[in-house]
Amino acid sequence: MFTQQRLGLAEAERARDAILGALTANDNPVALAIADEHGVPILLLRQDGAPARMLSRARAKAYTAANLGLDTVAFRDEHVKARDRTLNDWGDPMITTLQGGLTIKVQGKVVGGIAMSGNTTNRDEALAQIGLDAIAGGVQ
Amino acid sequence: MIQQLSISLADASMATDAILKGARSSDGPLAVSIVDNAGNMVYQIRQDGAAAVDVRNAERKAYTAAYIGRDTSVWRLQILHDGRTVADWSNPNMTTLHGGWTLRRASQVIGGLGVSGSGHEDRDEQLALRGAEALAELAVAEWRTKRDPRPIRERR
Repeated sequence: MFTQQRLGLAEAERARDAILGALTANDNPVALAIADEHGVPILLLRQDGAPARMLSRARAKAYTAANLGLDTVAFRDEHVKARDRTLNDWGDPMITTLQGGLTIKVQGKVVGGIAMSGNTTNRDEALAQIGLDAIAGGVQ
Repeated sequence: MIQQLSISLADASMATDAILKGARSSDGPLAVSIVDNAGNMVYQIRQDGAAAVDVRNAERKAYTAAYIGRDTSVWRLQILHDGRTVADWSNPNMTTLHGGWTLRRASQVIGGLGVSGSGHEDRDEQLALRGAEALAELAVAEWRTKRDPRPIRERR
């Protein structure tokens, strides 16, 4: 037997509130996905007017970050581009290289992934980072 | 052009809260999904300890209820009566597990709501009904604010 540290709904809701609070009038309606260490969703949301594809993307990004234990940009640059591979090598249709999926780590261990979609990929990642900070702020 | 109603994120999150409030300590940890009128996800949460299969089924229940326009338990009875199975729809996201409710407003389907994880699919359905009721109460409250307060005979 061993005990695992896992992400709970409380942490996910803290990230949700921080991100929704950080949105400005310049932002498009967004989608947010927070997944556990296996990539299974804990919290998904899509704001009014955000197209459905935004949530599929956010889900895929959060899944990728959690499942591989890599931010999606690091995955794209270091594992796909630098080694001349394509996504087919991973044999998993949920894996994506789109920017904006961040790994959630507690004490060095991957406990989940968080991703945003709806704005530019840079803004998506910045918003996801706000959620990440909100989670880290309350976890010892 | 046509005008179509769809559930908002605020309403979806309110319905989710109503479901979680209605859960008892004997219920297992829940997954709750709410989709819009096209079956696309608007809001989903998973309580601590709910399994991956609950997340998947909550979404499939919500999707089916919105897509078919029938609560999943009613739809199960209907296709059983017709001698069909879910496979006839060739859509892997559809399910006849109980616990998917169609959300309506003004005779239009505005979304679907799915609950999974309580421990029994009929209890899932009861809990889903909590969310649908909360949304219905909201609709009634809204109607009250718009309604002409005069008695009918004095309205003309």
